[in-house]
Amino acid sequence: MPPFSHTWLPFIYLYGVGGIFFLIGMIIIRKSGAINLKKKRHKYWYRVLIFGFIYFVIFHAFFIIAALYW
Amino acid sequence: MEKFHNIGTSTDWLVMVVYFAVIMLFGSYFGRYNRSTKDFFFGGRRFTWWLIAFSIVATGVGSHSFIKYSAKGFEHGFSSTMTYINDWFFIPFFLFGWLPIIVYTKIRSIPEYFEKRFSPSARFLATILLMFYMIGYIGIGFLTLGKAALPLLPESFTLLGQTFSITLMGTIIVIAVITGIYITFGGQTAVIFTDLLQGFILLFSGFLLFFLGVSYLGGWDTFWNILPVEWKLPLADFNKPSSFNFVGIFWQDGVAGSIGFLFMNMGLIMRFMATKSVDEGRKAAAFNILFMLPLSAVVVGNAGWVGKALSLVDPDLVPPNTSPDQIFVVVANIVALPGVFGFIMASLTAALMSTVDTLINATAAIYINDVHRPLKKYIKEKIVTQKVTDKRELFAARVASVVITVLGVVSVLAFKNFPTVYEAHGYFHSTLTPPLVIAIFLGIFWRKFTPAAVIASFVGGVALMIIGATYPGILIAPFDHGIEMNQSHPYSYIRALYNLFVCGLVAVTITYTTKWQRNTIETLKAKANHKNIMAGLTAASVVMFLVVVSGISMGIGQDNILGIWLLVLLTFVMIFLVALSVTYYVKYDEHTNTDGLTVWSITKAKELFKGGKLNEKEGKKVSVKFKMKEGEDDTINFSQKDMQTMAAEVGDLVYLSDARAYLGGLKSIHSVFGEPHDDDGIVYINEEQFMTGVFIKTRRLIAEKEM
Repeated sequence: MPPFSHTWLPFIYLYGVGGIFFLIGMIIIRKSGAINLKKKRHKYWYRVLIFGFIYFVIFHAFFIIAALYW
Repeated sequence: MEKFHNIGTSTDWLVMVVYFAVIMLFGSYFGRYNRSTKDFFFGGRRFTWWLIAFSIVATGVGSHSFIKYSAKGFEHGFSSTMTYINDWFFIPFFLFGWLPIIVYTKIRSIPEYFEKRFSPSARFLATILLMFYMIGYIGIGFLTLGKAALPLLPESFTLLGQTFSITLMGTIIVIAVITGIYITFGGQTAVIFTDLLQGFILLFSGFLLFFLGVSYLGGWDTFWNILPVEWKLPLADFNKPSSFNFVGIFWQDGVAGSIGFLFMNMGLIMRFMATKSVDEGRKAAAFNILFMLPLSAVVVGNAGWVGKALSLVDPDLVPPNTSPDQIFVVVANIVALPGVFGFIMASLTAALMSTVDTLINATAAIYINDVHRPLKKYIKEKIVTQKVTDKRELFAARVASVVITVLGVVSVLAFKNFPTVYEAHGYFHSTLTPPLVIAIFLGIFWRKFTPAAVIASFVGGVALMIIGATYPGILIAPFDHGIEMNQSHPYSYIRALYNLFVCGLVAVTITYTTKWQRNTIETLKAKANHKNIMAGLTAASVVMFLVVVSGISMGIGQDNILGIWLLVLLTFVMIFLVALSVTYYVKYDEHTNTDGLTVWSITKAKELFKGGKLNEKEGKKVSVKFKMKEGEDDTINFSQKDMQTMAAEVGDLVYLSDARAYLGGLKSIHSVFGEPHDDDGIVYINEEQFMTGVFIKTRRLIAEKEM
């Protein structure tokens, strides 16, 4: 079994530190009015942005589990 | 390390020559859509999202090449995919910050943004840094192309009784000549369509190679079970080895690289600007990152994974000490039949050429916008008609493309001694992107960010980066996350974190001391000799910069740590002097210089783009036939009823395109709604619009209101 530094630590760091950048981005575009959730199209894009983040979290988690146990 | 030559057969060479001829003819055909520099560089802002999304594949795959990812796939396994799957964190900033700003402000280059947002001096410095970045990127592209082609060539050849060795640099020069010819006559529309075709071919040949490789090994189960667990993990070890570790690559690629790629890469930005609207640009970007990049990661890395499996099964066939940068060619040659190998190699080299020609086109755009035009304005050239100006600029753009190609070849010298292309690219990104990344990023998202702060972060940031690069064991080590320092190439990746930190520190410090700077300047201005004092302070800052640079080259700090901190202290004094000089000389109004230019005023940017109040009522598209009208009126005229269907009013912006969706907007124009008429289903356009749209008389058009 590879060490924690090669399995889940990079994953936690990637989505922890990367997640902070992502969150700051989401807050700024909302606060600045660049994304206006009253508009149908913007609401769609807001969902796409959140979906993308979760999509990549699942993507990496799946491949780590596959490498370790499959 | 084992190196290969003469790989491939004459059939492979024949396939490669035919492939290149077809691609070049295909690109040249679309050269006829260039009627001005706007078309040459931006493709006329007309394309639909899917066309741009697929054309970006060839650019992205080319720049993050087969060679370097196969090399890392061979050395470290599936973690070679890391850099393709870490771009989402900055996508909110891009889709709703930078993308609408660059489209709505109608800027033609990143330095132009710096002039509007800050000052002409900020534009000047940004142009220098950006040209370094782009030309370095072209150099990396040429280096990769040379490394891809070298294993196919013999070690030497004989001509007229003389024997000539085939070297890496010689190969690169020949490739550069071919690339230069193509881009000089094609322009952006040619690049987009060539890349579109190559994007499909690349995905096909990459997956074909993976399929052939896995079949050669005996199927998926055999392939999966041969590879060690470490090779199957999608992320590298946190901090070792120094040549490939997660945390270093996260800061170099995931942060500096992602922002650099999305915000600074003029080649990519010009693609998004070629989409017909901001929403189409968003779709292209999101689709590319969510789906095309993960697929591309497999396409570019799989030869390395198959190579690793082959080296474990049959070390005589693929020796474990094979040069990593050659593994792609070696594996492709083993698993593919003659002819198929030629096809795979042709698609690889053509993709790399796509990256390089996109970058050359983009760098020429920067030259025209930020050097050529300001220079013409400065020397007050005689005013001529727009047509003549356009013709002259198109010629200058073509000459610039040639010169940039030559500079790209020269820049290869800076990278060719790195063990792999991957490390050369990593070092390049860590070193050249941080000052511009910080400047663009804070410029877009922080209204308080001033010209003094941006210029100080350029000058001071570069000085602190040079000190850090000279004494990495002292200055970069605190940021290393436990990565061991490699003496010959210290901290190739994690230096990005140090560089981002120092540039950010300067930017934030100078912004937060703006009040103090203004008060100091006010006090100085009260003195009679304030002009002389400021000239003296500016000269002192230049002298200090030179002292820091020459102090480093003389080895101050080599043996004592005090010397290093003295250099750092001197740099900070210089930074404050630079900030005072900028505050004194540059006219800056926070309201005017940020209106429509930051994420906080996107609506204003949209209004400025339209030139009037926005009409955001939702309408429908209409299908129309066109008729020609006389005169030079630039508006286009629909019937009252058609305008109602589109929810449009006179003065709104309209997009008109050929009804055939598969053309992706190639035949289309942007215009303004003029006074309506009573002929339903008919639109009246003028001769120029007809020519620009390259419309066909018998074909129907689709019209939609933009805003």
